[in-house]
Amino acid sequence: MPTTPSSPARNSTRLLVACGVTCLLFLLACLAIAEAPLEKVMGMVQKIFYFHVPCAWLLMLSTLVCAGGSVAYLFRGSERGDRIALSAAELGVLFGMCVLVSGPLWAKAAWGVYWQWEARLTSSLLLWLMLVAYVLARRYGGAAARRLAASLALFAAIDIPLVYFSVRFFRSIHPQTTVVSTLVPGMRGAFWLSLLAFTVLWFVLMSVRLSVENAQARIVELEVLLDQAEENKS
Amino acid sequence: MTMVALAYGFIWLAVFAYIFVVGRRLVRLHGELDELRRRIERGKP
Repeated sequence: MPTTPSSPARNSTRLLVACGVTCLLFLLACLAIAEAPLEKVMGMVQKIFYFHVPCAWLLMLSTLVCAGGSVAYLFRGSERGDRIALSAAELGVLFGMCVLVSGPLWAKAAWGVYWQWEARLTSSLLLWLMLVAYVLARRYGGAAARRLAASLALFAAIDIPLVYFSVRFFRSIHPQTTVVSTLVPGMRGAFWLSLLAFTVLWFVLMSVRLSVENAQARIVELEVLLDQAEENKS
Repeated sequence: MTMVALAYGFIWLAVFAYIFVVGRRLVRLHGELDELRRRIERGKP
């Protein structure tokens, strides 16, 4: 049975509501961050944490979704899975870039250097580079690169446990994964609010990006049908 | 304070730049849709 596409007006309303909720959440998060107490040792620069960690979470979420879509494409030939994977990979590149810029800025103030070749930072950089490679392969590799890019997404997903657990298994100057549970109440509220705002933003961006990809695929489909109809006519 | 402003500023800038890029893709998509519509109109008996 063919699916009925939802009306553009309803979609626009949903998008407007989603954008409104996202803006409101960010406003509340920024107020909570401004009100959050200063960390004793690092002071003001610790506030980078409230944006840095949610971006890192979204980098991992994007990679997982990209890998999930790629599995669906590789093993079931799902075109929708492939479109989801591409959209998620782009968001992974975006939020990965935010992590890799905000992290060194914080590191410069806290450690005195922008970069250390230690496990957490290096594995995060590797993860981001794999997503960049995925997007470049999809952008310039043509149809033949789709399976190659999907395989790359699986390798990127394997890197996620390495990124997450690297601070536990390797000697690292990066804060541990348990840092969130040690936050004082004022900091904890700001952190969770910021995480929620970023996650909602991710879903909004993902839904818009995916609808662009779906529309693009539908247009290509229609162009092929139209070409065939014109050929039959002549 | 400078580092915090730089970090927050960069993240906002990156997100807005991405929204701008997706917006441009949407505009291009509308152009392709218009072209498709013209082709269908031409093909009508």
